[in-house]
Amino acid sequence: MKISFDQFSKLWRGQDDFRLREIDCGIKLRAVCLDTMCDDAKVSAFVLQPLAYVGEATSIDEVERKLAAGTGVRQPPNLYAAAEDFTNGYTLIFDGQDNCISVDTRTVIGRGIAEPPTSMVMRGPREGFVEDIKVNITLLRKRLKTPDFRIVNLAVGKYTNTAVAVCYIEGITRQSIVDDVVQRLQSVKTDGILDSSYLARYLDVNKTFLFRRVGSTEKPDIAVGKMLEGRIAIIVDGSPMVLTLPYLFVEDMQAPGDYYENSAMTTLSRALRFVSVIASVLLPALYVCLQVYNYQIIPLRFLITVLNASEAIPFSPLSEMILVLIVFDILREANLRMPSAVGISLSLVGAIVLGDAAVQAGLLGAPAVMIGALSGIGLFTLPDNTLILSLLRLIVTFVAGIMGLLGVILSTMAIIVYLCAMQDYKTPFLAPFAPDIPEDRQDAIAQIPVPNMKKRPKSIPNDNDDRRG
Amino acid sequence: MDKNRVSIDQLALLYLLLVMGGKFLTLPSLLAGDVGHDSWLSVAFSFVWDGICLCFLLWAIRINDGCKMDISAILDRSVSRPITVALMAIFFVIFALRINVLLSSCFKMFSVTFDVSANWIVYVLPVAALAFFALTKGFNAIARMGQLLFGLILIAVVALFVSPFMEVELGALLPIGEAGWGKILLTSYTRSFWFSDYIFIYFVMDGIKIKKHVFAPILISFGVGALLCITLNAVFVALFGYLAPDFDMAMSKIGVFSAASTANGRWDWLTLSIWLISVFIKVTVFIFCAYKCLEKIVGVRFAKFNWIAAAIVLVTLSLPMFVSTRQLLDTVIKWGVIPFTLVQYVLPLLMPLLTATARRKTEMCHE
Repeated sequence: MKISFDQFSKLWRGQDDFRLREIDCGIKLRAVCLDTMCDDAKVSAFVLQPLAYVGEATSIDEVERKLAAGTGVRQPPNLYAAAEDFTNGYTLIFDGQDNCISVDTRTVIGRGIAEPPTSMVMRGPREGFVEDIKVNITLLRKRLKTPDFRIVNLAVGKYTNTAVAVCYIEGITRQSIVDDVVQRLQSVKTDGILDSSYLARYLDVNKTFLFRRVGSTEKPDIAVGKMLEGRIAIIVDGSPMVLTLPYLFVEDMQAPGDYYENSAMTTLSRALRFVSVIASVLLPALYVCLQVYNYQIIPLRFLITVLNASEAIPFSPLSEMILVLIVFDILREANLRMPSAVGISLSLVGAIVLGDAAVQAGLLGAPAVMIGALSGIGLFTLPDNTLILSLLRLIVTFVAGIMGLLGVILSTMAIIVYLCAMQDYKTPFLAPFAPDIPEDRQDAIAQIPVPNMKKRPKSIPNDNDDRRG
Repeated sequence: MDKNRVSIDQLALLYLLLVMGGKFLTLPSLLAGDVGHDSWLSVAFSFVWDGICLCFLLWAIRINDGCKMDISAILDRSVSRPITVALMAIFFVIFALRINVLLSSCFKMFSVTFDVSANWIVYVLPVAALAFFALTKGFNAIARMGQLLFGLILIAVVALFVSPFMEVELGALLPIGEAGWGKILLTSYTRSFWFSDYIFIYFVMDGIKIKKHVFAPILISFGVGALLCITLNAVFVALFGYLAPDFDMAMSKIGVFSAASTANGRWDWLTLSIWLISVFIKVTVFIFCAYKCLEKIVGVRFAKFNWIAAAIVLVTLSLPMFVSTRQLLDTVIKWGVIPFTLVQYVLPLLMPLLTATARRKTEMCHE
């Protein structure tokens, strides 16, 4: 297809970093590139030198052959593809007959591969994804040396034209799910995609507003592990977070280092995470409703201690607990946005000065502060869902304060019904527990040793469930 | 995804939860009032008839496999539309009544046991809100919730049972049949209104995913549920003797004997609260069925959540504000015992025949 140089240059002329070079090598050629996106050395080595020294050419096809030193040489099919290459740092070469070839001269900018701060491990690989899509694909390819590793390349965003790669393993991942995901990404109509989290919202089929429905990881070993279970990995240029689909709630309980530790230890850690999450959400609510309505449940000595500690508090148990939880959330939010050095000071101020001073002043009771802190720490065992769990904790506590045990039961049931109904990409969110899939319990809370995991999870639709075949 | 699809395993667990939820509230004391320490025999007889009906209903489900006909489609095609409407209306009254009885028992439990008092509407509205929320999510979500919470509820029930069971003097149940076998049988009939928990299956039979051993999980659930109910009734009357009719909150009173003392705190209340989840699941399932009855009476499948149907269900839930549940129950059973018996204990026996007829007619239409 013909691509008019005049039409193309009209789009870009006037940009400060637009570079045009005319070359005569038998036919008149015009090479254009964006200075800010191209590597000068590559432009020189892969475009200018070959054209200057190789001699006479008679057609654009011959020019393409002479540029064999460059690895990424191709003829863009249309103006849109040419513009996409151009903005990505390719050098475009036009002849007088509106033919065009593009040569990969992209500059490499960005940080080097390092251990991701959100997924530190004691054992196991320490490589993390970076912002460059090419590097990220390389990190996956390095671990998946098979022709079945497939990538569907897309560009999303009217102005950002962000490169998106949908990666999967052919023969394992269910093709209908890949098609569904690709179709959803192609139908995204937005001006820009700045991070993978933008796309996560478009990939949430049921538009759930509480829990996230798309997984994310910064570690290539985790991404590959998930792909081997039949999931899809979505890499977005400019984001170190790779999305994974379909997503299960139980994945939140699984930490990056789980597969590199003894399975018994992993089971214990996951059980602790599970218990701590439930306790985090329910503990403040139970404390309030037991204190207000059903104090008989509390053992007598414990009850006396609690009553002594909260006797002089000017707030009702509900207001006291809500206050503690809100203060904790404010501290957490402030801590997240502070530079790390200041953050430590802030934690100390929060924990010692605020907590201790409030108890000393008789504004808050020590048991409430302790329960609030315990519940807050418990939430961090699921770092990706801290905010939403914190919100649920507030709601359940509030309902418990008004309706007592009935409120705790009803609100918990409502949350469970909500979670049970969630299902994206033919994958129930609470699998393998609701619905119960016994085969998949091998790697849910309890984990059997990795060599014994002979089947892929049934919760994730796949085309080959045998890990050995 | 069909939001009302349910697997046999989910159905079996849900059925067991439904048996466990609700029968341990006021029923044991009512039965003890009628036949004394032989109340467990009444329960046993009711479950025998219940089991036979369940088997016939499961047979009908098997015949229905592949056709995906719902109860109204089966009745429409095998008998006639007016009869379908009449039967659905009877079902609606049964469900409305049972929801009211369950809720009022729970209400009493909260006010007596947990010392929390509120007026009826403040208590019912949140429960109805939960049920309607579950309704919008579909029966599948309710079944999954049952599956998820089943283990926890079973542990709670066992924890409540173990200690009283160890302490009970089973000799207190002798002599067997003292109240007279005729009276025991009659009581199991007059109180049978409480036992047919399987009737919810009528309203999900078009969404059941059938596996090879279709009957096994549900029959096991039925067996375990029946055994639990009979044992609880026996333990209850053996523990409280002639005072049993006065203790109308069986589970709560039995809890006193469980591993707790005042100094250690009433931990049994926590287990009791966990068991109460099964009661609310039962209420939710019955509200789902009542809503479905209205759908089938109107003859239109509600594409979205229908506020009018929900409002009608909600209005029926406010009846105890004007009439005591006991009075309501006595009146309705007095006038409605025959129609109730018809849909709960005669219709299941006819269901295989009706389903086969409906299936044949459907296939003929397709040809």
